[in-house]
Amino acid sequence: MSDPRYADRTSRPKTVERTIAVCFTVSLLSTVGFAATYWQTGPDMLLGVFFAMIFLGMGVGVIAWGKYLMPQGPFVEERHPLTTTEEDKQEFAEAFGRGADSIKRRKLLGKLFVAVNGVFAIALIIPLRSLLGAKTPGSELYHTNFGKGTRLVTVNGEPVTLAALDVGGAQTVFPEGYVGSATGQTILIRPQTTPLVTKPGRETWSPAGYLAFSKVCTHAGCPVGLYLQEFKELLCPCHQSVFDVSTGATQVFGPAPRPLPQLPLAVNSQGYLVSQHDYDEPIGPGFWSRGALWNGHNS
Amino acid sequence: MKKAIIPILIVVGVVLFGSAGAFAFNVTQLPPSQSTPGESFTYPSLSLSSSSITQGKVLFDENCASCHGVEANGATGLAPPLLGVGPATIDFWVSTGRMPLEQSAIQPNVHPDRFTRSQTLDIVKYVSSLDARAGPPIPVVNTKRGNLAQGANIFALNCAGCHVITGVGDALADSTFAPSLALANPTLIGEAVRTGPGNMPIFDTTQITPAQLNSLARYVTYLTKRPQDAGGAGLGHVGPVAEGFVALFFGVGILMLVAYWIGDRTPDPRIEEHNE
Repeated sequence: MSDPRYADRTSRPKTVERTIAVCFTVSLLSTVGFAATYWQTGPDMLLGVFFAMIFLGMGVGVIAWGKYLMPQGPFVEERHPLTTTEEDKQEFAEAFGRGADSIKRRKLLGKLFVAVNGVFAIALIIPLRSLLGAKTPGSELYHTNFGKGTRLVTVNGEPVTLAALDVGGAQTVFPEGYVGSATGQTILIRPQTTPLVTKPGRETWSPAGYLAFSKVCTHAGCPVGLYLQEFKELLCPCHQSVFDVSTGATQVFGPAPRPLPQLPLAVNSQGYLVSQHDYDEPIGPGFWSRGALWNGHNS
Repeated sequence: MKKAIIPILIVVGVVLFGSAGAFAFNVTQLPPSQSTPGESFTYPSLSLSSSSITQGKVLFDENCASCHGVEANGATGLAPPLLGVGPATIDFWVSTGRMPLEQSAIQPNVHPDRFTRSQTLDIVKYVSSLDARAGPPIPVVNTKRGNLAQGANIFALNCAGCHVITGVGDALADSTFAPSLALANPTLIGEAVRTGPGNMPIFDTTQITPAQLNSLARYVTYLTKRPQDAGGAGLGHVGPVAEGFVALFFGVGILMLVAYWIGDRTPDPRIEEHNE
């Protein structure tokens, strides 16, 4: 034991030994405590504490043992040679040769096999064609499921009447038949009881003071569901874009680049709120061809 | 000698980390006394019949008339008219202590102990007597009839956008905020839903039926008891940012100290010989 490599790391092995013994005892007692708590259906918190103490005691003890009371070395172990022996090489060459000879004897099959693989590699080019000529979204980005006379329905699918909201109320609505539709989600609000003209040309859009705006933020597509009824503002929870309802949901704060599109409303003969036609511009965030094409898709 | 300091440093580091965590936990916690409705928030009776209009007039003249006017018809740019707003509105603003207004602000704050319950009802009765229009009455909310799961669903759909899913509230636009619901009791929840105080939208009985309101109030009162804290600190219930910070900074920090203790270098006798 005179070899310093076999000496304990610590100068006080007795103290360390006692500490480790305490750790293991704590672990042991915690195991008993855990079992007892589980048996008595004790509080979850206590179970967790016992569980932590079991592994903490075990872990600290084992690491301290290895760190302070085990031979520290360094001990050198020589690596075995990495090259393959001559016998192994010869054996492999023989085994390989047997198979290769057998293949060479059947020339037709061999050539066919090469041909099959070659043609398959060329066939892999075909999917590239689909990538290059990918189907574009077409006009999907320009339309929602609102059309002429589409009833507005709640998230439960119930059609919305003129009596749906008090002044100051707000409700999420969808085009009938498309509850939950991502593009059709619309926020219906009622700032007053008389028609509210948000912009010139929208004189007939707000029967009895009902206004409907696309709920998809023009910035990043979050649902603009926060209606501040006193200030008549819509707030997007994601990036704090604020839209002024009275002027047609024009953006007054935040990163949104455009007002929220307004849905033209009307009342049908049964007293239900309906859309006059689809939104007259694409809803939601911008996309590459938005500005260039959407005018042609006006309904 | 030098080596003996390292374990001490590690212990000190762990203690410092721990106490910093405990401090962060404390500053983000609601005071426990506020997380349950106080005595002034118990509603023994919703009946207005026992309260007195004369008493209400005295209280109104003393506390409200300076802004809202002796006839409660408001003052332009200062205070809104109170005629015809209904008992629920008056009760909400007075019993949460938002009125009388402590100081002019964009959004009044909660002060829950201004008047006794019967004084509040006196004011409600007096103001309601001034105008023939009824306005929303103080809703009768019975949480025992509510369905917790349905309440959670309604809350997620209609309330969580502003008050956030844990009900702790959040900032809105223009210096306003959705308040924490920790102080809410069933009647106040009902009044807020029906009258839409401040910037909150109004939800009438077609949008949230009385039965749904029972469920909603049951869920909110359940939420304010912090059921999700069974596993430990709630960290202010502000969500994954606070939780991620604690996990990364404190959790990984402590793990790094432990890893440092486990994995330090074995002294190489050859190097020590060389140094000597």
